[in-house]
Amino acid sequence: MAEVETRQRSQVWWAVAGVAVVVVLGALTRYLEQNVPVFTKGTWLGGIAKSVEYPVYAILLGLLGNAVLTGLGFRDKLAAGFRTEFFIKTGLVLLGASINFAVIVKAAGPAIAQAFLLITLVFGFTWWLGGKLGVDSKLRALLASAVSICGVSAAIAAAGAVQARREQLAYTASLVIIFALPSIFLLPLAVDALGLSPAVAGAWIGGNIDTTAAVSAAGALVGEEALQIATIVKTTQNALLGVVAVALTAYFALKVERTGEAKVSGKALWERFPKFVLGFLAASIIATIFLESGGDKAAITTVNDLRTLFLILAFVSIGLEFKVAPLREAGWKPIGVFASAAVFNLLVGLGLASILFSGFNG
Amino acid sequence: MSAEDGVGRERKLALNEDWAATIAGLVLLGLVLVGALPGWLVP
Repeated sequence: MAEVETRQRSQVWWAVAGVAVVVVLGALTRYLEQNVPVFTKGTWLGGIAKSVEYPVYAILLGLLGNAVLTGLGFRDKLAAGFRTEFFIKTGLVLLGASINFAVIVKAAGPAIAQAFLLITLVFGFTWWLGGKLGVDSKLRALLASAVSICGVSAAIAAAGAVQARREQLAYTASLVIIFALPSIFLLPLAVDALGLSPAVAGAWIGGNIDTTAAVSAAGALVGEEALQIATIVKTTQNALLGVVAVALTAYFALKVERTGEAKVSGKALWERFPKFVLGFLAASIIATIFLESGGDKAAITTVNDLRTLFLILAFVSIGLEFKVAPLREAGWKPIGVFASAAVFNLLVGLGLASILFSGFNG
Repeated sequence: MSAEDGVGRERKLALNEDWAATIAGLVLLGLVLVGALPGWLVP
């Protein structure tokens, strides 16, 4: 008993140390973002340094920290403190305060239409392809949820719904991050090359990149308007997570496991509904009322600075969480399914974003 | 700890994290709007 307590206490201390690592690297990111352009002004690096935004420093420092801590043998012990989901969700609630509620209402129609069509098409395609290649049905459910809804959090919800193994969850989470990292940089480049409007770019990024933290990083690289639309679209997808998780529970109980016990209730839906979506909407309503009743705009600037701090912590955590080891165990088939689904998502997402958001003017 | 327990633990943690992030975000927003957290305190 005493031994268990000592072990749990030690795990808590490692987790606290992990959070401290994220905060230190976050502070370093902020320092570099603010000072590198000043240090390099007037040199050949000055132009480049000016255009490098904070997500780039944060992710690179996270990856560097990851390599150093892995080399020292501490990374896995500290990993409990790399809380990407907490940091990104807090950042997104704060982001809600910078979006006028009227914009959310205006974007809700196309965002819901895009999320519904994308989830249905991409989930269906991934499920079908996984079946053709003989991938285990539980892993198929995890891959399809992750690629079509919202990355790691969707995979966790799906893993609970279909009672997947922990290794299958770890594997899917690794795939999500491995695919998300290059997308953060490649999608903004593609946006430039294709000359997309900020609204279409945001909708494409929001509907495409799996993990919510990476959506924010790519959106921030394109610009503020793209970040706002990307967040609205991604938040809408997140909101549909509960529906998919409950449908999966029912499908696995009735068709795959054939236990005949399917718990489809309002309680199950509410349990799986991502609550930060409510925080995001509440923040937008509170800030809109605050400003319309003559509140100080400088307060919203402070909220935006706080939001940036939390996004930096989330992006540092993405770099720290990156891990390829679980991939070696599962073979090439699930990677092939995930990669094909990502390409399918990219193309269908571009088509839908161009149609649904072409005339959008926030 | 079985593999299923591990997934259950991850799910519970994710649900708690979801609420924690929502509350943290709204509390911070409230503190700024009422002036308890001034701009100069945010780096």
